[in-house]
Amino acid sequence: MSAGGPLLEVRDLAVRVRESEGPRLVRDVSFEIAAGERLALVGESGSGKSTVAKALVQLDRTVEVSGSVRFDGRELVGARPGDLRRVRGSGIAMIFQDPMTALNPVRRVLDQVAEPLVIRGVPRREARRLAVAMLDRLGVADAARRAHDYPTAFSGGMRQRVVMAAALVGGPRLLVADEPTTALDVRVQEQVLDLIEEQSRELGLAVLLITHDLGIVAGLADRVAVMRSGALVETRPVDELFADPHHPYTRGLLESVPRIDAAPGQRLRTVADAVDDTRESADA
Amino acid sequence: MTRFVLRRVGLAVLTVWGVATLVFLMTKLIPGDAARVAAGRTATAEQIEAARQRLGLDRPMVEQYLHYLGGLLHGDLGWSASTKQPVAVDLQVAFPVTLQLVLVAMVFTVVVAIPLGTFAALRHGSAADAATRLVAILGGGVPVFWLALVLQWLFAVRLGWTPISGANGYGLDPPVVTGATLVDSLLAGSPQMFADSAAHLVLPALALSAPFLAVVVRNVRSTMLGVLGTDYASFAVAKGVTTWRLVVRHALPAAASSTLTILGMQLGFMLGAALLVEAVFAMPGLGTYLYTAILNQDTFAVLGGVLVTGAVFVLAGLVVDLIQMAIDPRVRSSHLAHA
Amino acid sequence: MLARGSRRLAGRRAGALDVLATVLVLVLLVLAAVGPWLAPHDPYRADPATALLPPGAGHLLGTDDSGRDILSRLLAGTRATLLSSVAVVVLSAAVGAAVATLAAASPRWLDEVIMRVVDMFLAFPSMVLALGVAAALGPSLTSVVVAMVIAMWPATARLVRSVMRETMAAQYVEAARLTGMSRRRAMLRHVLPNSLDSLYVQLGLDVSGAIVLIAGLAFLGVGAAPPSADWGSMVAAGREYVTTAWWVAFFPGAAITVAAVAFGLFGDALRTRLDPTVVRG
Ligand SMILES: Nc1ncnc2c1ncn2[C@@H]1O[C@H](COP(=O)(O)OP(=O)(O)O)[C@@H](O)[C@H]1O
Ligand SMILES: [Mg+2]
Repeated sequence: MSAGGPLLEVRDLAVRVRESEGPRLVRDVSFEIAAGERLALVGESGSGKSTVAKALVQLDRTVEVSGSVRFDGRELVGARPGDLRRVRGSGIAMIFQDPMTALNPVRRVLDQVAEPLVIRGVPRREARRLAVAMLDRLGVADAARRAHDYPTAFSGGMRQRVVMAAALVGGPRLLVADEPTTALDVRVQEQVLDLIEEQSRELGLAVLLITHDLGIVAGLADRVAVMRSGALVETRPVDELFADPHHPYTRGLLESVPRIDAAPGQRLRTVADAVDDTRESADA
Repeated sequence: MTRFVLRRVGLAVLTVWGVATLVFLMTKLIPGDAARVAAGRTATAEQIEAARQRLGLDRPMVEQYLHYLGGLLHGDLGWSASTKQPVAVDLQVAFPVTLQLVLVAMVFTVVVAIPLGTFAALRHGSAADAATRLVAILGGGVPVFWLALVLQWLFAVRLGWTPISGANGYGLDPPVVTGATLVDSLLAGSPQMFADSAAHLVLPALALSAPFLAVVVRNVRSTMLGVLGTDYASFAVAKGVTTWRLVVRHALPAAASSTLTILGMQLGFMLGAALLVEAVFAMPGLGTYLYTAILNQDTFAVLGGVLVTGAVFVLAGLVVDLIQMAIDPRVRSSHLAHA
Repeated sequence: MLARGSRRLAGRRAGALDVLATVLVLVLLVLAAVGPWLAPHDPYRADPATALLPPGAGHLLGTDDSGRDILSRLLAGTRATLLSSVAVVVLSAAVGAAVATLAAASPRWLDEVIMRVVDMFLAFPSMVLALGVAAALGPSLTSVVVAMVIAMWPATARLVRSVMRETMAAQYVEAARLTGMSRRRAMLRHVLPNSLDSLYVQLGLDVSGAIVLIAGLAFLGVGAAPPSADWGSMVAAGREYVTTAWWVAFFPGAAITVAAVAFGLFGDALRTRLDPTVVRG
């Protein structure tokens, strides 16, 4: 481990579609995450958040990643496939938006959760024991029995727990959670967020939480990075950002969060409204 | 689940009855005196009269039909005027040969198509897409009996790598137990007979699988591409799996399941094509039996073979559906939901 | 965006193939029309002196066991091959569409019964069903066409019935019904034409399939009666000479292949061009 440096250090990250002259999907993205820290990456849908997340461990083979991603002191951009695979799962784990589609419908839950261990040579029995323990830890009731079911037998919230178990079982140090609650019921959303925070504290796990919903950021993240049209507009501690957003776009995002203390009948502002405001002020 | 199985079986029984009825109606298409056709070309007046009695042709239509169905229930598929035997007895010998050929061709198709389709999926691009389209149309356009003749000429006549025709070399046919030479030679415990049976099967199976190979490769490729594009494939990569493991553990089960469906759907075409291939290689199966029967204008033998083929096809569809239900949890649960 | 780009590329590359298929189909049509006059020899005159001559100057594709010129017989047989396949496709499409329309216009229980009967027919492998009917009717090209229509109409009926079901529920049909159009009239004016479109787009592919199936039946002995120059029967006749005179079976088979592949490619091109519901690529 490199002493002192951040766990993840991203410099001038850019992503473009392979073999195309089109514009870059993402450009000039720089941020860092310390061990155990929780950073939220927010922005409108389509702003490039998922593209950044996947670029960290180069999940999408149709795009080309440039710049620098250092994890635990090691450079990942241009790393050998084998080294990259070692980082995936056991260094940086990812969970996706829709737990309904993130699990293979024709494989048993147990096999899918144990997979990160099995591919690292942990004996099958041991891997299964650890997988059940992780499911249990993440609140899947009667884990030893239910692990033998297929994903269809689980509800949405339970599936997200299963997905998290598969992500965490390999002992990663950074969890990238891409809109982990967007596809879930409101009530279940909160449980999953609590679970992420709890695991982060207990395991000293760093988290990159990706969301378009600033409303869920406040309780969970230490810092917030705001993304717009493929670039970061500002990165600041969460209380600071909420109290005094610098960028008009951030202000727009904040104002579009529904607030209980808003006057009844007051229309929610969209980000577009805020951007229009900035245009007007720029024109003036 | 049980209800679904019962419904599916019920449907199969109903369909077999429909198949039998259609074959009965075909006998009514025979121009002229059906009794004369049934008794054979060289029959005497008495023999024709006997055939008329046996088929009940002098009785009312409904009675004939019931008589015919009753006979079927007792395994009576009619009488062959050329072999002078019950058609059922002839088919007991011929059908296993055909079934063996179809199964071997299917195994061959799967063994070749899955790696090829996987490769095409991993290397997909516009050139590969155009190539698979061309191959699929070529596969559908080449008449299988002609392909069989070409293979026979090239590998058996020219190169002499395989036997030209038949099911076994002289003195190498295994004692008949099941009628399938591969199984029988194993039962006889003779590696020499087994090798000989296999050698006689290579070209017919190759010819028979060619048209279906293209279809299955195309299907494997598109299923693979589908799976590789899913979230769960991305999640698996994020867990650190290799491409190999992704393909074998995640995509292959889906591809296998859809291949099974396709093979089930293609089985009918394959049976039809097998008749042609057999006729080329003079394998003593259903195709050769029908070919000879047609040559001898033995129409009732032909219709008996047609009936059995139809019924076997229906039952095979039933089996494929039940297997599918057993291996795919989605099919299982969706049937549960509907039942 | 990437997908669209490569699709356009695949389209352009397929273009050459489409042109080739179209040219081949046109050539076949011309040969069907004037083929018999182009024949260098009498396709029916047997002559033991010229039996089983290999391909060469006098006989480009060789001669068969009766000494007849194979090229001349192929040219003479083009018309029968194309006519019978097209007849089978058109007739079975007509029968299938008529039955489907009848089913759609019938009360629900009758619709159900009709479609169950269609399923019974579909339970047969089409080759085997056609074989049975043709064998019962006796060997002639007419009985093969009848047998093939009996074997092929159910698939059309299934297809048209399912497209009709979708179209009946479509918004524009409902809109027409709201203007006071009767159910029958709405079916004839809107539903039927729309469903037939789904048939046109696969006519080419069906012709290709019919060519191969008819040839297969002829190969098994249920086809045009002996002296006629039928491609499938010609392959069958060459079967016994594989070891000694390969050309007798080879060229007729090659002709069948070329015709089937040409119509297949042509049909596939037509479908991708005409059918808005087919995604290219
Ligand atoms: N592989 C790719 N090829 C082409 N376009 C892509 C690819 N991946 C993402 N994009 C495009 O990049 C933009 C950003 O997408 P994404 O990162 O998913 O946004 P977010 O997660 O913020 O909603 C979208 O317009 C998307 O269509
Ligand atoms: Mg996203």
